[in-house]
Amino acid sequence: MRKTQEVADVSLIAACEQAAQGGNKVLDVFPAEDAVRVAVWEKVAGAITEVDLGAGPHPRPSRQGFPSLRFAEEQDFLPGTFAEAVADPEVVGDGMHVVPLGPVRADVAEALRYELNALGDEIHGLTLRRGYKRRGVAARMRGLEVPSALEVAERVTGTSTVAHALAFSLAVEDALGVEADGGTSVLRSALAELERLHSHLGDLAALAASTGTVVAAADLYRLRETVLRLAARWTGHRYLRGAIAPGGWRHGLADVRGELPAVLEDIEGQFLAVRRALDRTNSFLDRLHGAGRIPAAPLDLVGVVGRSAGVREDVRWDRPYAAYPELCHRRHIPGYAAGDAFGRYYVRCEEVLQSIAMLRRAGWAGCEGLSMPLPSRDGIGHGLVESPRGRLFYRVELRSGKVQSCRIRTASSINWVAVPLAVPNHNILQDFPIIDASFNLSVASLDL
Amino acid sequence: MFYPRWLVNLAKGPAVLRRKVASRGKAASPTARLFARSLAIRHLDAGSCNGCESELSLLGSPVYDLSRFGFSFTPSPRHADLLLITGVVTDAMVPLIRATYEAMPDPRLVVAAGACAIDGCVFRGAPGVVGNLQDIVPVDRWIPGCPPSPDDLLDGLLALVGRAAQPRGEAS
Repeated sequence: MRKTQEVADVSLIAACEQAAQGGNKVLDVFPAEDAVRVAVWEKVAGAITEVDLGAGPHPRPSRQGFPSLRFAEEQDFLPGTFAEAVADPEVVGDGMHVVPLGPVRADVAEALRYELNALGDEIHGLTLRRGYKRRGVAARMRGLEVPSALEVAERVTGTSTVAHALAFSLAVEDALGVEADGGTSVLRSALAELERLHSHLGDLAALAASTGTVVAAADLYRLRETVLRLAARWTGHRYLRGAIAPGGWRHGLADVRGELPAVLEDIEGQFLAVRRALDRTNSFLDRLHGAGRIPAAPLDLVGVVGRSAGVREDVRWDRPYAAYPELCHRRHIPGYAAGDAFGRYYVRCEEVLQSIAMLRRAGWAGCEGLSMPLPSRDGIGHGLVESPRGRLFYRVELRSGKVQSCRIRTASSINWVAVPLAVPNHNILQDFPIIDASFNLSVASLDL
Repeated sequence: MFYPRWLVNLAKGPAVLRRKVASRGKAASPTARLFARSLAIRHLDAGSCNGCESELSLLGSPVYDLSRFGFSFTPSPRHADLLLITGVVTDAMVPLIRATYEAMPDPRLVVAAGACAIDGCVFRGAPGVVGNLQDIVPVDRWIPGCPPSPDDLLDGLLALVGRAAQPRGEAS
């Protein structure tokens, strides 16, 4: 094992290199060459660039400063080469069969192909094939003016619109050397928490639906609709599109300060009731405990998936942006060690309550939506935010007012790697929909 | 069991049913009118941002409750009456769209939901994005919006099968 190497953002590659050299638990799960192949899907995408952002104000103790971020170069799309294996254990033997799912699957689901290797009911391997919905985001952004590129960024992941718009805006502001004022920062944080709220409520509803607890699912979907309607009254769009822009705002926001406390009170009360009922439903808890446990491997997971597996990290605390230096403290970041479906359920529930609390704490002076004029200069900027699914990184290069290049590293593109490891970990086919819902990762952020 | 009305309907055939359900609005086509009371929807993601899927999943929530119209999502295209396509149409999905459409029994309908499925939205012209559904499968209705809200989706589906009231000024 190379101890000198800093654990990087895509430390999966490092993990698999370590695995190949022996003495690592990944090796116990898969043969070395297969473990390496897990990593290759990022490596084949192109040369890996390293960016050092320097130490944040709250560097994590186990690491030297903030880890450098590594990401794949933007690649040119090659038509036809759409199927790439994320993990391919090639399990063979008598009675072993493949259960193919997707890319057109379930009731309403994103395009991704799952190939489950099963022996009877027991799952022994999972291969993910991605690339069906690659839209060439980075290539599309190249050469666009900043406002047009922002529109593309907002549509990378529909349920993380604010996170993408904010990361892009922070990167552009960083490149231009400007900084948003305090009022703008507070409002941006408030919108980000509203987005986290509706995203988590949707994820929890999908999890409840997958276990057959339809009453809880109906309640959670209804709560989510309440949040979306609040978002529509606030910014004019249910998914908060078109609100945030580099330098401030695209347009003024409605003043919802009057109704916000009552709506939040209502949502919190109802959510606590649903959660109390779920926490007393043994048929629900039995399906979650121990299901989809992520094996101990240095995967460097982020977001909800990481926090439920003992990696208690959050950009809002590690490298606070917008108004999070005042809003977020380490005690607001939930953690869970087991890394199973229940852990992800628990962390999401806690974060829903924390988001509501942060929305309450965010005291803002006005909602007029002031925007500052942006200077015209060239430069490279970085934006790092905590999206509802985890750490999101943007690197934007501006030249003569246009986006020269934009590189995106989403949380889902990191966390998807845990799914082929967690699903075959002593689970049966009936557990698969629950494990899938407990991750609820975005395919759109995987196939950029 | 054999109540008189049932026998009358049986004798007259589906014409009675068509008159009844078509009373509120005009269906997009005689085929669409067949599904006015029962519509099995197969959703297909052809490269969306997950926004449309997010709104589609809310259609099943008690707020919108798709099932009260007799509509439902089906996991299999073999059981589907309607193919609901979201997202920019990527190169990789073109053969799969055709295959899914071919797997559906006749008569069948196709709806393109969301700005991306209509013309590619902001991704038009990006590498790997076809952005034009009409050349792949025949589309019966386009539902605009980015993403279309559950209200828009319901309205589009009901109008397609002739159950939504016609807007004023539109010939019925």
